Amino acid sequence: MPNMIEIKNLEKSFGDNQVLKNITEVVKKGQVICVIGPSGSGKSTFLRCLNVLEKPSAGQIIFEGQELTHISEIELNKLRERMGMVFQSFNLFPNMDVINNVKLAPLKVKKDMEEEATQKAGQLLEQVGLADKAEQFPLSLSGGQQQRVAIARALAMDPEVMLFDEPTSALDPEMVGEVLKVMKDLAESGMTMIVVTHEMGFAKEVADQIWFMDEGYIQEKGAPDEFFANPKTSRAKEFLSKIL
Amino acid sequence: MKSKKIWITLVILIMMLLVPLGKVNAASDGYLQKIKDKGTLVVGTSADYPPYEFTVKQSGKTTYVGLDIEIAKKFAKDLGVKLEIKNMNFDSLLVALETHKVDAVISGMNPTPERQKSVDFSNVYYRGKQYMLINKKDAALYKNIHSFKNKTIGAQAGSLQYDLVKKQMKNNQIKGLAKLNDLVIALESGKVNAVAMEEATAKAFAQNNTSLKVINPEFNVDSSQTGSAMAFPKGATSLVQAANKTIAQIKKKNLINKQYIPLAGKYMTNNSKKNSMWNYWTYFAKGIEHTLIITVVSVFFGFILGVLLALLRLSKSKLGKVIATAYIEFVRGTPLMVQVMFVYFGIGAVIQSLPALLAGIIAVSLNSAAYVAEVIRSGIESIPAGQTEAARSLGMSQTLTYRYVIIPQALKNIWPALGNEFITLIKESSIVSIIGVGDLMYQMQLVQSATYKGVIPIFITMVIYFVMTFGLSKVLGYFEGRMKHA
Repeated sequence: MPNMIEIKNLEKSFGDNQVLKNITEVVKKGQVICVIGPSGSGKSTFLRCLNVLEKPSAGQIIFEGQELTHISEIELNKLRERMGMVFQSFNLFPNMDVINNVKLAPLKVKKDMEEEATQKAGQLLEQVGLADKAEQFPLSLSGGQQQRVAIARALAMDPEVMLFDEPTSALDPEMVGEVLKVMKDLAESGMTMIVVTHEMGFAKEVADQIWFMDEGYIQEKGAPDEFFANPKTSRAKEFLSKIL
Repeated sequence: MKSKKIWITLVILIMMLLVPLGKVNAASDGYLQKIKDKGTLVVGTSADYPPYEFTVKQSGKTTYVGLDIEIAKKFAKDLGVKLEIKNMNFDSLLVALETHKVDAVISGMNPTPERQKSVDFSNVYYRGKQYMLINKKDAALYKNIHSFKNKTIGAQAGSLQYDLVKKQMKNNQIKGLAKLNDLVIALESGKVNAVAMEEATAKAFAQNNTSLKVINPEFNVDSSQTGSAMAFPKGATSLVQAANKTIAQIKKKNLINKQYIPLAGKYMTNNSKKNSMWNYWTYFAKGIEHTLIITVVSVFFGFILGVLLALLRLSKSKLGKVIATAYIEFVRGTPLMVQVMFVYFGIGAVIQSLPALLAGIIAVSLNSAAYVAEVIRSGIESIPAGQTEAARSLGMSQTLTYRYVIIPQALKNIWPALGNEFITLIKESSIVSIIGVGDLMYQMQLVQSATYKGVIPIFITMVIYFVMTFGLSKVLGYFEGRMKHA
């Protein structure tokens, strides 16, 4: 499999606080990576560095052969079109209805025709099980429904990789399943995914690889079966003993 | 005679610092030649001071009349040029002269030593006595300054009469107001027991209001302090000489007492005969028109400039931030009234042809922009960072993000505050009346002085302002309703 994202010597500091310390990893096309670890370990920052929502302090992100950290704003916008992102707090646009949330970027960024964009948005809403909510405004939906719309919105740009930043952490427990189901379907369709999550069941079942992060490093990585059964580092052991 | 506030002097001083003094002409001044060349004499006056100068309606048009206007007419005729009257607040007249907005000022003005420092005066053309206006029912009580004890006497703030009352009626209270009309209202409602004013003016009020009476309270007056003269720019000797020639002729024929005052009296009687407010609806209509023009144009430019300032303040550019912040702080930290005067007289000194209306619009727009910018900034900052991140993660540029995601949401959040600013603008725009823009406030003052009715024009003006702001508030409410989602 070709490399989708290469991360080389990535570092990120906020002031004196170094959050990411020299991370070098590779994500291959079609892989599903689950990034787990204790709070404050740098997981979200790591994910946000991948599409340069946070500008890395040092190191390189190479997405399909193109380096991201030293390019112009315009080139970066182009590349972000191909990297979908789903946020913990959904971040739907409350000023427009569901279908327009999904259509906005295709219409304004890709300059799709109205008809084409509407049709595609309809299909995506169908895919996430929300075709009947197209005309509603985000704030009238449940958290689980909003997060599914957010996934459909990200998919509307035909991304090659999807970044999920704790997509179920803000949800009531009974809503978690519907979102994970959509993500699982997506993984099965062959989408490259990087998922920061606390859902160990999902990680175990869907991930190709688990990256365990702590204190700004990826301390350990491996296939889920192996990682969950026999964690090698003491930190991973400690973490797993707390949550399982 | 009329008030001249201290801060006006300050503004003049500041302007003198900012405006190059290159305009001061030499002894062979050329002022007279210049007026003859352009064929027009522009005279500034404050037409709220009958019988010296006031307005009447003649066949639907507002005309300036009064004894000063007659003198100005004769002066222009003697020079062989046309006369153009520019009406503005008394406070603004000398500044207008110094910044060459007008060629001369004739407005019942005393040639006080203080004023002589900044302008040149002609000979005194008229010297009235210092009178008092009282309620007719008190006629038996008050004969002269010694009849008053522990009473309240009104006088125009900063005027000669104010000084006289203060010095010569020490066992009384003094109440100083800026406008004679307001003082007369105070007299009628018993807030003051008498109002000290100049003879001709006092007589005019008494003539037009049967409940009032004039007395000569026998102030001890130094004749060098009284009398009215025409004012000219410092060094305009040629004009002063020409004016003195005209004044000598007027005095010789006794034109002021024989013709000008009786004529002014006739106009005043006519005015008071038809001083039902209906006769003045065109004044109010004109005022509404101007107020709306100023407001609408200022809202438009104020909003655009406000958005730019807000974006500049939020931008990454350090310089942009500093510029926007400095602008906002400065504009918010200075009174709109001073800004209006600065634009008209300060910038107007560089661009001579800047009309008062345009100057007013510029000042109000620039002022409003600072407030709008802060409202918009607070609106933009109220939108969670997640909204920007979501939009940017979809590949939307900063511009697209602002246009479709941030601004629409911010606008909804700040709509009430923005509406508040626009409503404030309608009211605040009334300040432009000081530079002689014919807005509603200004027209109200004209109607007051033309009709000798103090309260009714205020009441009508108040109702009109309310109707305008309430209407706007309803319109804004409608749009707010449309923006509400879910």
